[in-house]
Amino acid sequence: MDQRLTDEELAPVLEPVATARGLPNRHYVDQTWFETERDKLFFDGWAGIGFAKDVPANGDAMPITLLGQPLVAIRGRDGKLRVFLNICRHRGMILIREAGPIRGAIRCPYHSWCYDLDGALKATPHVGGPGHNSHEAIHREDLGLVEVPSYVWRDVIFINISGEAPPFETAHRVAIERWREFDGPLFHSGADSGFRLDVATNWKLAVENYCESYHLPWVHPGLNSYSRLEDHYNIEEPGAFSGQGTTVYRQLADEKGLVFPDTPGLGDRWQTAAEYIALYPNVLFGVHRDHSFAILLEPVAIDRTAEHVEIYYHAEEALEEDHTALRARNSALWETVFKEDIFVVEGMQRGRHANGFDGGKFSPVMDSPTHMFHRWVATRLA
Amino acid sequence: MPLLSPAALDAALLDAHAAGDSARLAALYGKAASRFNETADIDAACFYWTQALVFALEAGLDEAGDYAERLRRLGRI
Repeated sequence: MDQRLTDEELAPVLEPVATARGLPNRHYVDQTWFETERDKLFFDGWAGIGFAKDVPANGDAMPITLLGQPLVAIRGRDGKLRVFLNICRHRGMILIREAGPIRGAIRCPYHSWCYDLDGALKATPHVGGPGHNSHEAIHREDLGLVEVPSYVWRDVIFINISGEAPPFETAHRVAIERWREFDGPLFHSGADSGFRLDVATNWKLAVENYCESYHLPWVHPGLNSYSRLEDHYNIEEPGAFSGQGTTVYRQLADEKGLVFPDTPGLGDRWQTAAEYIALYPNVLFGVHRDHSFAILLEPVAIDRTAEHVEIYYHAEEALEEDHTALRARNSALWETVFKEDIFVVEGMQRGRHANGFDGGKFSPVMDSPTHMFHRWVATRLA
Repeated sequence: MPLLSPAALDAALLDAHAAGDSARLAALYGKAASRFNETADIDAACFYWTQALVFALEAGLDEAGDYAERLRRLGRI
């Protein structure tokens, strides 16, 4: 049964940042609350589950599990990417066990009910007895795969399991508009532009750390040399996303001055700006003039999170041979930065077992993006 | 596909199942169905055409349409 926050429990989190308290410990260590957050924060809204680049060709399928929900992303013969519950409508058997191309129909390995890639039920062998493939009680038109509403933004596949959220374009209109200039194609170079970090923390702490720039001089001293704390600003959109931006982004260049090509048609302000937002609940994005990244936070358990990091370039030339070494440097740079965060998010997770912790006291100036995330969590759980 | 004895057909089917070779399974089951059709054992033929249809669908073979049509004509779909 879902937990609910009472008004009394909610009030300290909903206070203005100067007087607010953070979410209490139970949201990080209590399995019951983990399950409530699964339903209210992930299933009732738009959660990230994977990357469209991993199902590139028509007929490609990729099974995905989100908080126990078996799903499968399939690119249909029509090129459209759809997400379904990865189960047969007959006995609930898992349909697709490995990622890969589907040549024809999806065949359930149990009793061989077959589905088209758009989910339509194509065959129900022997359902009316041996050699009889229909029955008056079996209405194929009602027994297609269960499709889950999905949307791809910045290559991340988002889904709404409950089916009750507003359309993605409505729910995240402000984020889409904010980064409209980056709407062009994204180019991914493969394994050299992605990595996974397994972190012993609750997923929310990864969001909370990503949102704010307060920690940069202490945890990422390498960034401080050219991106000082005072060059950052907070980004806050209540109920949707929060994060930080910088006004002094400097392109990575090699010894010969080679850089990644710019995003076509980008406004002047992006010559030195970069922005980083956490789109609630679980996707962290960053954009720069010449590349961007997405970090998908996969909650593996209440205290374990897999961070799937993928880096994208904004012009195809960045994938050419002469940029190979620079891409490797860029990936290594981001991997270093994100690994530097691990000890703090793991440390805060361990700290959440301290019975005397009261949710924490925010910096009224520096922590407001994190506070905004807490307010979103608390409001959704009310 | 060369004519196979019933025993050889069984063995070939087992091999194809073990290999997960749906195109070959479709062909072999289609062969089995034809044999029973020739002896007017329609129930058995429809069982094997059903098997052939499923694997032809999985393999994305055009023959799926032929198997489905045979079953349809016999009121089995």
